[in-house]
Amino acid sequence: MTAFHLDARTLAAYVDGDLDDVDAWSVETHLDRCAACRGNLTLDDPTRRLVEAAAVAVAAPLPPPGRVRPATRWRRIRVLVGAGPAARGAWLVAVALTGLAALGLAVRPEMLPPWLLLLAAPMLPAVGTALSYGSWSDPLHEMVASTPQGGLQIILWRTLAVLAVTAPVTLLAGAMTGVGTPMVWPLAGLALTALTLALGSLIEPGQAAAVVAGAWAVIVLAPIGEWAVLMQAGPVWLTVTAAAVLVVWTRRDQVGRRTA
Amino acid sequence: MSVTVSVRGLRVSYGRRTALDELDLDLGPGVHGLLGPNGAGKTTLMRVLATVRRPDRGQVRLLGQPLSDAAGLRSARRQLGYLPQSFGFYPRFTVREFVEYFAWLKEMPAAQIPLAVDRAIERVGLLDRADDRMKHLSGGMLRRAGIAQAIVNDPRLLLLDEPTAGLDPEQRVEFRALLRELGLDAVVLVSTHLVEDVVAACTRVSLMDAGRLVFDGLPAELIAAGGAGDSGDSPIERGYAAVLRDARAAAR
Repeated sequence: MTAFHLDARTLAAYVDGDLDDVDAWSVETHLDRCAACRGNLTLDDPTRRLVEAAAVAVAAPLPPPGRVRPATRWRRIRVLVGAGPAARGAWLVAVALTGLAALGLAVRPEMLPPWLLLLAAPMLPAVGTALSYGSWSDPLHEMVASTPQGGLQIILWRTLAVLAVTAPVTLLAGAMTGVGTPMVWPLAGLALTALTLALGSLIEPGQAAAVVAGAWAVIVLAPIGEWAVLMQAGPVWLTVTAAAVLVVWTRRDQVGRRTA
Repeated sequence: MSVTVSVRGLRVSYGRRTALDELDLDLGPGVHGLLGPNGAGKTTLMRVLATVRRPDRGQVRLLGQPLSDAAGLRSARRQLGYLPQSFGFYPRFTVREFVEYFAWLKEMPAAQIPLAVDRAIERVGLLDRADDRMKHLSGGMLRRAGIAQAIVNDPRLLLLDEPTAGLDPEQRVEFRALLRELGLDAVVLVSTHLVEDVVAACTRVSLMDAGRLVFDGLPAELIAAGGAGDSGDSPIERGYAAVLRDARAAAR
């Protein structure tokens, strides 16, 4: 403790705000260290409430920082690819069923005709892409659509997630049915997805997927019979993909944004 | 008044029904209230300004950019905040992930995102729930999370469609204070059914009826339009009723 103390008049002048700045600062420096002089301060009611409120605010613990993630490039990809509407749940079931059917075919080939898998497996990514975008399946669509990444960009991010899930299943279906070359199956899936996106610049992506699925069903079910030819024509599927990507690129402001 | 939103001859129809008809509107910085009965076209106007719905006819310029030009549209969208009247959520998202998602979608600089996300959540008073999943939030909290995603990029144009629905009285008072703060340097357009929100927080007020703008002025001018004989519990409700009545009489 220090021998020096402030007299009552100085303290009163400090409380009333009558001291000039330099004097007030030295008074405060002393008050910081001297409990006796702090005790001699007489505050009016509003000031005391103010001091108490400030003390509470200073002493109150800050909320814990929580799970703040650094905004890295990897984090951006994870957030944009990983977030998707819940409608994907039903679609994931379809993907799983297709995978199981393909495996079942390996055990008992007579279980189901190969054309059924040919009908379903290459369409899975296109359907998944359409399900992941649009006002009827995405609860955040209205807000997403108002952002600069809201059109083609977010569709492509979600397509990436869809393709990552479906490519192995499509490949498996190709290998198990023995129709054509297994590697061509995912290529066909890619081409049908690109076609859906290209058509999605003219109509809603959901309708586009329905049109592509219908056309695909006609091709598979048409009584030409030679499915193997269809699933051996790798270059044809690549050409279709390239043409569709060109359409998507030239109409990039329209994909998924027909009304905006 | 520096004009940052300008709308000329705007027409939007859904099928054969006309939602907006030859609408002209200019907005500058400040908080603008948008009033009108149900079906007046408030939400359609919000959706056009949010670049979600393309106008059938007319010119819209946001923040000096015409919406017809792709680069201008993209730049306007980066500076836009939009809270739709109703919205869902991805149930697995936490509040922080939800707001972060929109920070990325709005193409904010990466270095600003973590701080901006927490600041937005703090401004709507949800910081203590930031790591809770959206499905565990109450209706009022969801709406506040929606407001947080709208303001995360410090938008120069903020569109809030019925933002006070589901907020309790105390939260509404806090929200009005936030609105006033945001309106200092941004254009804030708030559509609402609650006329008392307009008196408390808005610097200007517009009134729509049947797809047209029937009043545009200061809240005091809307109050002055009402007479003792008009229906309503407060001066501004009487002004609202009087303006609507005159507009409908003139339309006949």
